[in-house]
Amino acid sequence: MRVLRLEKKRLAEFLGRVTNSYMLIAPVKTDLVRFEVIKNVDDIYLEKNSYFPIKEYFFRKEETLFKFDGKKFAVPKIEAPHRVFFGIRKCDLNGIERQDIVYMKQVQDPYYIAARKNSFLIGYHCNEAPSPYCFCGSLELHDHFDLMFYDRQEHFLIEIGSEKGLFLSNKFKECFELSNQSISSEEKIIKNADRLENKDISHLYDNPDWKKGVDICLSCAACTALCPTCYCSEIHDTVSTKDPSQSERKRSWSSCQVQDFTKVAGDHVFRKEREQRFKHRIYHQLEYFKDKNGIDLCVGCGRCIEACPTRIDFVEIINDMNKDAKSKTN
Amino acid sequence: MQKAKPIKNPYLPKPFKILDFHRESPGTFTITADMKIKHEPGQFVQVSVPGFGESPISICSYSNKFVKLNVREVGNVTRALSRLKKNETIFIRGPYGKGYPMESLKGNDLVIIGGGCGVAPLKGIMDYLESYRDDYKDILLFLGYRSPDDVIFKREMEEWKRKYQINITVDRNAHGQFCYDAKEGFITDAINSSNLSNENKVVFVCGPPIMMKYVVEILKQKGFHDDQIFISAERLMYCALGVCCHCMIRGKFTCIDGPVFRYDEIKDFRND
Repeated sequence: MRVLRLEKKRLAEFLGRVTNSYMLIAPVKTDLVRFEVIKNVDDIYLEKNSYFPIKEYFFRKEETLFKFDGKKFAVPKIEAPHRVFFGIRKCDLNGIERQDIVYMKQVQDPYYIAARKNSFLIGYHCNEAPSPYCFCGSLELHDHFDLMFYDRQEHFLIEIGSEKGLFLSNKFKECFELSNQSISSEEKIIKNADRLENKDISHLYDNPDWKKGVDICLSCAACTALCPTCYCSEIHDTVSTKDPSQSERKRSWSSCQVQDFTKVAGDHVFRKEREQRFKHRIYHQLEYFKDKNGIDLCVGCGRCIEACPTRIDFVEIINDMNKDAKSKTN
Repeated sequence: MQKAKPIKNPYLPKPFKILDFHRESPGTFTITADMKIKHEPGQFVQVSVPGFGESPISICSYSNKFVKLNVREVGNVTRALSRLKKNETIFIRGPYGKGYPMESLKGNDLVIIGGGCGVAPLKGIMDYLESYRDDYKDILLFLGYRSPDDVIFKREMEEWKRKYQINITVDRNAHGQFCYDAKEGFITDAINSSNLSNENKVVFVCGPPIMMKYVVEILKQKGFHDDQIFISAERLMYCALGVCCHCMIRGKFTCIDGPVFRYDEIKDFRND
C-alpha cells in the first residue's frame, strides 16, 4: 500500500490547486453543515459530519427523465462536470457504494451514472465518532474512496483507493510526500461507534416492541430524506401551463414512511400503520437489501435518529428487544 | 437537448399504434397495441400518457403479433388512456416481471379464479392455452364480478364456455335477469360449494386483495398446499425496474420477483 503524506498547513494549497482544475465540493458550516461548491477553501469545515448526506449530488432530489413535445421524447443532456468531493466521511462513502449497487448495477441509470462518472471522492476519516448517534462500527463498512485522508495531528496520511485516486495523487504530486508509514486495520476502526449490539433482526419481526418506535412518529419522513442510502423514488409528469402538449417526466425522492407510498388504485394502502412502515424501513436497511446484494444497506451514520423531531432511536429499540429476548431465554 | 436514445435509457417508452379499442364494460376497456414482443402470460408493461404519467398494466393476451391491455378507469392515467382511439399512438415500455410458469406446470389440471378486472392477467393464460391446450388436463374457471355490468371479455367468454368448465358469479344482480349464465352470489361461495379437490391441480388467483384472501382460505380448507397456488399481486409501482421500491413486499419486488408469486413465497405478507 502506497501512503502519502500532506502537512496540514499545505492542505489549503492542495485544495486551492484542485479548484483550479475542478469544481470542488466540501462541507461548509452555514446554519447547518452541508456539502457546497467551494469558492474559498478556508470555508471548509471538518469538525462535524455534514447534516445532509452527499447523495443529492448523484441521486438528485428531482431529475427530469425526459421531455415530451407532443410527438417525441427528448432526454435532457445530462451535465457531468468534473467534480472533486472532499471531506466525505466513511459512512457517506459507503452510502455512495450502496447507491452505486442500485443505480449502476441493478439498473444502468443514465442520470446517476453521468453524475457519478466524472466525480472524485476524497474521504476524511473519523478518528472518533463525530456524533453520539453514530454506529457505523456495528455494520460492515468498506473502503470505498479514491483518496482517504487520515488526520494525524500535524499532518494527514493519505491512502490511495482507486485508479482515479492514483490519477489525482499524480496530478497534484508536488503537494504530497511519500510516507513510509502504513495504515493498519486497527487505525481504521472508528472509536465509540458500535452502539448497535446485534444487527441481526431476523428473529424480531413479530416482536410487539416495534410499536415503541412509532407511538411518537410524525410521519415527517426526515429519516429517509437524510439517509445517505435511502434510494426510493417516485415518477410524475408535469405539464406546461402555457402549452399543455409540452410535458416533462420527473423522478423525485420518495419516502416509505408516508402512507401514500403503497397506495394503489381504489385507495387501498398496504402499509397503513406507522408500525408497519417503520419496520419496513429498518428491515430494508438491515435485512432485505443484504439478502439481495450481500451487504447491509444501513451505514450507521445515525442521521435518521439525529434528525428525527421526536428522536426515535431504532438502535436503542433493537438493543432493548434483543436484551428482552435474551433475558427470556435465560 | 440531446436526441433520445431509447435502448440505453430504461425509463423511455416507445410509441405503438393502437390497432383496436374495445369498451368491455362501463368502467373498463381493452386496447390492442401493435407491439410485437415475446412475453409470458402474467407479465405486465408500463403504459404512458405523456403529461399524465405512467401505469403498470398486465398483458391480457398471448401473441407475438400484438399486445392487449385491459384497463380499468380509476386514476388520471387510466382515464386519459380511455380517451385514446384506434390508429392513435400509445406509449409503452416493457414487458416486465415474472409471469405464470406455464412450462413447469404441464400435465396438471388448471383452476383459474378471477375477480373483476383481476380476470385480465388470467386471460393471458386462456390465450396461451389456445396454443398449448394439450399440455394440460382439465381447465376449470371461476369468474366473479360485482354486477352483470362489470363482466369483461364477453366476446371471449362464449368461446371459453364451449371449451372449458366455467362458473360465473355476480355479487349482486340488480337487473333481475342475466344473460351470462351467472349465479348471484360471491365467487367464494361458488368455490366453496364446488367439489374441487387438490389432486394434480394448480390454481391461479387474481383479484382484489380481500377476494384473494378469502379464496386462498377456502382453497386451503379444500386441501390445497401453498405451492399449488399462484397469485398475481398488485402494488404501487413507478419504475418497474426494482429500484423505486414502492412495490416491495418484504424483501421481494413485485415488479421483478412478481407480479406472479407462488403463494408460499409471500404468504402472510398481505400488509407488508
